[in-house]
Amino acid sequence: MAEKPKVIEKPDVLEQPDILKPPAVAPLVTFPIEVVVPEVRQQTPAVGQRATRADGRLHGLGQTKYIDDMYFPNMLFAKIKRAGVASARIKSIDTKEAEAMPGVVAVITGSDIPCNSFGPSLKDQPVLADTRVFHAGDGVAAVAAVTEQIATEALEKIKVDYEVLTPVLDPLESLKLATPGVHAPSANIYGHKVIKKGDVEKAFAESDHVFEGSFRTQMVEHVPLEPYACIAQWDANGRVTIYSTLGRITLGRADVARTLGSRIRIVATVVGGNFGGKNEIRAEPAMALLSKKTGRPVKCVYTRAEEFTSSTTRHPLIMDYKTGVTKQGKILGRKIRLVLDGGAYCSWSETTLGKACILSAGPYNIENLYAEAFVVYTNKTMTGAMRGFGAPQVCFAYESHMDDIAKALGIDPLEIRLLNAFDEGSLSPTSQKLHSVVVKESLLRAAKRFGWNGIGNGTGNGNGA
Amino acid sequence: MANVTLKVNGETRSASVPPETTLLRLLRDQFNLTGAKLGCDVGDCGACTVIVDGQPVNSCLMLVGQVEGREVLTIEGLATADHLHALQKLFEHFGSLQCGFCGPGVILSAKALLDENPDPSTQEIRDALGGNLCRCTGYTKMIEAIKGAACILRGEEVPAVKSA
Repeated sequence: MAEKPKVIEKPDVLEQPDILKPPAVAPLVTFPIEVVVPEVRQQTPAVGQRATRADGRLHGLGQTKYIDDMYFPNMLFAKIKRAGVASARIKSIDTKEAEAMPGVVAVITGSDIPCNSFGPSLKDQPVLADTRVFHAGDGVAAVAAVTEQIATEALEKIKVDYEVLTPVLDPLESLKLATPGVHAPSANIYGHKVIKKGDVEKAFAESDHVFEGSFRTQMVEHVPLEPYACIAQWDANGRVTIYSTLGRITLGRADVARTLGSRIRIVATVVGGNFGGKNEIRAEPAMALLSKKTGRPVKCVYTRAEEFTSSTTRHPLIMDYKTGVTKQGKILGRKIRLVLDGGAYCSWSETTLGKACILSAGPYNIENLYAEAFVVYTNKTMTGAMRGFGAPQVCFAYESHMDDIAKALGIDPLEIRLLNAFDEGSLSPTSQKLHSVVVKESLLRAAKRFGWNGIGNGTGNGNGA
Repeated sequence: MANVTLKVNGETRSASVPPETTLLRLLRDQFNLTGAKLGCDVGDCGACTVIVDGQPVNSCLMLVGQVEGREVLTIEGLATADHLHALQKLFEHFGSLQCGFCGPGVILSAKALLDENPDPSTQEIRDALGGNLCRCTGYTKMIEAIKGAACILRGEEVPAVKSA
């Protein structure tokens, strides 16, 4: 390890005079100025340095303005009616009674939206369901009223007549060709990836032992502390300004523009927690139309319940592993099948599918590999981006599988990993040459730190590796 | 409509609101004090924490009828015109807030704790933050900041931070 270069120490907040004004904001540069580009495997000068967040002071003063903290004169509040059935055909929507309520200014349904489909990859998601409901959290109508409470009350006055259909809920059922399509006539499998390396069947035949394991993970919601919020303002020249809790505003702008066929300006402020759940638009086009219809700014904030039912979540995975090993525990071949439950819409499924598949073999040198991944539609809350894009799910599976193999062979779980782990210059399953590989060093150092001493003899709880 | 008069950050304020209005909505919508946040609206996340008569409360669970004549402190009232509160200073120093959405609630829970207990243990700080959820930063840096602020408020030096 090279010696760490000297850097200029920045004055810290504790050394600053204890006053609020001036300056009321942190200095612009809060990281070391002299940044030396490090050589491979050299520690970067930023590591170990203290840095203060530029927005830290306003956060602490409670002065950071999130979308829900903004207000425009004469603003209306919107609420979205949720379907509550997993799969149905919409026969009719009656909004008359809601529209007649005092305080209700406008109601829109899916048929009011010029191009009622969007999505960051496949455009398979309606802004408001018009003819078909694909999952229980689908919106079917949106109400703008002078108060949030009146809007909520108006939702109950909207009458929707459904022809309830049998939902597809099991991803393994959805995988079968005989299962009715969630988005018929499209097939339920909407993404597929295969990684092939060597000859896995031959490797199994040459192995001393072949182990199989099946692993499942559940759906996970991001639960950012700030619920989704947006404010739309349609001006007289046909331009729309949307203030939204979006992490990717340019992508959002393209999606909204396609839906409305209008000129869009998206303003994003500080996001109160994203984790991948605020990477795409949700109700923005509906709010823009409510604003157009009323000539007033319209704000919509999701309830915590809506965050769970009507926003993206982490893909649940069903992961089948088959691994051939020698008596010593050296992996000769591995076959993997991943089934991703994509929920009702594609969202970021293709990215998740790719990353899960590429990483599914784990950080191990495996000459013979066959990894196949599918993502399927089900009538459930849609799944999308969430920290790691599928990586945490497969990590749970391959590491659990390694532990099972070690236990069956009577080998130290650490040893089996040291025997198979990547080295400097190893090739990944997709033949990327890897640099700065320190898996073995990290494992050994960690084992030493927490006193790992063979199978279950460590002072830790045995789950450290 | 319910008429309510209370003291907010030292100032007497009145409003005429529907009786089902919560203290959180009163502060945010009537008094434009948006520091307290609406995170879950059911008292789970603590983003709406304010101090009422010295006690930290979930303002989303308190109705306006319950605050008549009481004294409320929000995050906006914590710093004086010239000086940051020690907690705000240390939260900034330790980088204890990433997205910042839970911050006002966490800081006020910590303030209520330090008012009662000037030298809390780590476990006591954890207990005090039991009603405040954070999803970005985690609690380690917050606990460091609260311990540091306790030092400042006791008139002691803030111990040096262990380097990574």
